[in-house]
Amino acid sequence: MIPALAVKNYTLDYATAAGPVRVLHDISLQIGPGEVLGLVGESGSGKSSLAWALMRHLPDNAREIAGSLHLGDIDLQRLSPRELTRIRGRRLGMVFQDPSTSLNPTLTIGRQVTETLIQHRGIKQREADVLAVDLLSHVELRDPAAIMRRYPHEISGGEKQRVIIATAFGCRPDIILFDEPTTALDVITGARILELFARLREETGVAALYISHDLALVTRVADRVAVLKHGRLVEQAPAAEIFRAPRHADTQALVQAVPRPERRLIHDKSSDEVLLAASDIEVHYGRATLLGHAPPPATKRIGLDVRAGEILGLVGESGSGKSSVARALTGLAHFSGKVRFDNREITDARDMNAAYRRDVQIIFQHPDSSLNPRQKVSEILSRPLKLYGGNTAEIPRLLEQVRLPTSFADRWPHQLSGGQKQRVAIARAFAARPKLVICDEITAPLDVSVQAQIIELLLALRAATGTAFLFITHDLNLIRQIAHRIAVMRRGEMVDLLPAEDFDAEHVHPYTRELMAASPVPVG
Amino acid sequence: MIELFVRLIRRPQGLVGVTLLALIAVACLFGQALAPYAPEKIDFLGRFRPPGWQNWLGADQFGRDILSRLMVGARSTVPMALIATFVGSAAGAIIGVGSAYLGGRTDEAIMRTNDAVMAIPGLLLALLLVSTLGNGAGNAVIAIAVAFAPGMARVTRSVALNVRNQDYVKAAIARGEGAAWIIFREMLPNVMAPIVIESTIRVSFAVMLFATLSFLGVGAQPPASEWGLMVADARQYMYQAPWGLIVPAAAIALTAIAFNLLGDGLRDALNPKDER
Repeated sequence: MIPALAVKNYTLDYATAAGPVRVLHDISLQIGPGEVLGLVGESGSGKSSLAWALMRHLPDNAREIAGSLHLGDIDLQRLSPRELTRIRGRRLGMVFQDPSTSLNPTLTIGRQVTETLIQHRGIKQREADVLAVDLLSHVELRDPAAIMRRYPHEISGGEKQRVIIATAFGCRPDIILFDEPTTALDVITGARILELFARLREETGVAALYISHDLALVTRVADRVAVLKHGRLVEQAPAAEIFRAPRHADTQALVQAVPRPERRLIHDKSSDEVLLAASDIEVHYGRATLLGHAPPPATKRIGLDVRAGEILGLVGESGSGKSSVARALTGLAHFSGKVRFDNREITDARDMNAAYRRDVQIIFQHPDSSLNPRQKVSEILSRPLKLYGGNTAEIPRLLEQVRLPTSFADRWPHQLSGGQKQRVAIARAFAARPKLVICDEITAPLDVSVQAQIIELLLALRAATGTAFLFITHDLNLIRQIAHRIAVMRRGEMVDLLPAEDFDAEHVHPYTRELMAASPVPVG
Repeated sequence: MIELFVRLIRRPQGLVGVTLLALIAVACLFGQALAPYAPEKIDFLGRFRPPGWQNWLGADQFGRDILSRLMVGARSTVPMALIATFVGSAAGAIIGVGSAYLGGRTDEAIMRTNDAVMAIPGLLLALLLVSTLGNGAGNAVIAIAVAFAPGMARVTRSVALNVRNQDYVKAAIARGEGAAWIIFREMLPNVMAPIVIESTIRVSFAVMLFATLSFLGVGAQPPASEWGLMVADARQYMYQAPWGLIVPAAAIALTAIAFNLLGDGLRDALNPKDER
């Protein structure tokens, strides 16, 4: 039997100014008809390069050194551009990571779906219209005829990804490449997309290559899993086995790094002393203009308290207002309501004095944008020291505290990896010797294994300094490992505030239960 | 810095721009010494002498050597344009970044005032200012700087608005930094690339605007050998001695093109995404 897709001894280099860099070493993979192969690896492991190689869309500086790529009996490397357009989409579909950029914003959804169908299925416009409505209803989109007339910005991210999946399946390809299709979506939407994928796969029997950095997620969708590390294939095994009995050390590390709610990482109890108490917080963006009212507040009278030395988790899907709370507490957004900190009442960002600014620090989600690209690490770290009366001689100590070599003081942010940048941001926050650190999704853009290291670092810093954390995340499994108490938010309201141990109990809010069901719990 | 220069001259437009500017710089620095004649030396026998071995680019109505005047005049044309652009760009950049940082109603007020100033054509505004301040090269520089600042403020503000939303600026606000630090140290360095590109292109406008002011008689005053003034002087004898008009006009055009090419080259060289 001919496999749907076969990669044999494939080796790929990128030619750079500093000489060739090998990104894929001798990769051999096979996907049988109707099989789903999960490809797991950290960022930079070369998994996207493999996807691009299969789509024949490599950058100009890519050099294919050895090996072959076969789709059924077609040799992909020998195809002329004209033959390629007949293969792409029709026999080899692709679903990208970010649904917001893979649809053309100036064309209606209907136009984009039917155009693809007309191109690849060779049907007439009228048939394509009928087929498109049929396909869109098949991916559980409500009122597909209306969706067809809308533009991409008029539908949500989850709906966009459904449209793309519908289009990919609609062309009836032999195999579809999924490049992290749920990473840009929030947990619940992502979980629904995975359910949809499983159903469509059962119905159509299409083969798929599913690329992701999340091993737990891949084991739920794939039949077999291949683990990629630094461009080398380290292990291939059936999905059920790889989690229970990982053979290779790198796979074991990946399995270890997956957060599991039952494996608690903190064991102490927090004190009862309240450090920060916020009540009736409403966050306002924009203001009333001459012609319109101000938009409704992003949060609806939220109240929460953080105790000294406590880790308080704040979970919710995107748009639930959890980041707005962080912005209000750091004076970055206008809010109404009261914040009580250190026996001082704060009702406005102007009330936040230097002492409050020092005691409450924030770490942002994106390490790329939270460090000024035109300042060296030493300058970035020296600012809080100068502002809050520290000594710049402490910079080496700060770097050591976050386990970075002291020589990094002379580096520019672009010379650091994502995890290292996030460590610098953490060092900047701790330079102020704060009492409360607000972490706004700080691990979301990082790989699972880097995430585990950052979490370990934060817990070590907490043990050393007794700092409290307000940890904002959408990863319920992660926060159940580390938090004392967890608050759950939905659409600007707080629906639950429970000790972490009580999450398995009966009395949780239905939404919290839904959130737990959507969080991929590892197989085995 | 050296790396940037190498990237700049690797592109044809960058190389041509840099070469032309190097020639202009030589004329500005050593024009006086290299010129074959003194710029104000009158030769009655050589009035309207066409280009030839005696006067390479011909002579004007007083028999003054046009090449010499051009070389000496470079010093009073190009540096003036550079100073005017620099002052205008710096002022505009600070207004733009400051406006983007302050935001809200302050931003609105600054930008609407800015729009009002922008609505007046640059030349008209410059003429207005010069006629109020008085004739002369120094006042022309101020006038051009004022005419340039609003456009620059607009360009800078649009870039600065993006930077304003970056987390490092939020981090600076959250830790309680002052406005001056945030504007000058956090935001300004990150909007420099578009400012540099925009101002190199604007230098060419400044050269032309400065020449125009001199041509209209409100910029440099005779007997200075400023290029615009040379064009103005030669206009009367356009049919007798077209070289008197063509040569300085070509010099102005060439300088403008050189700065434009440099701007184009810099835009490509400063684009970090284009790593090849």
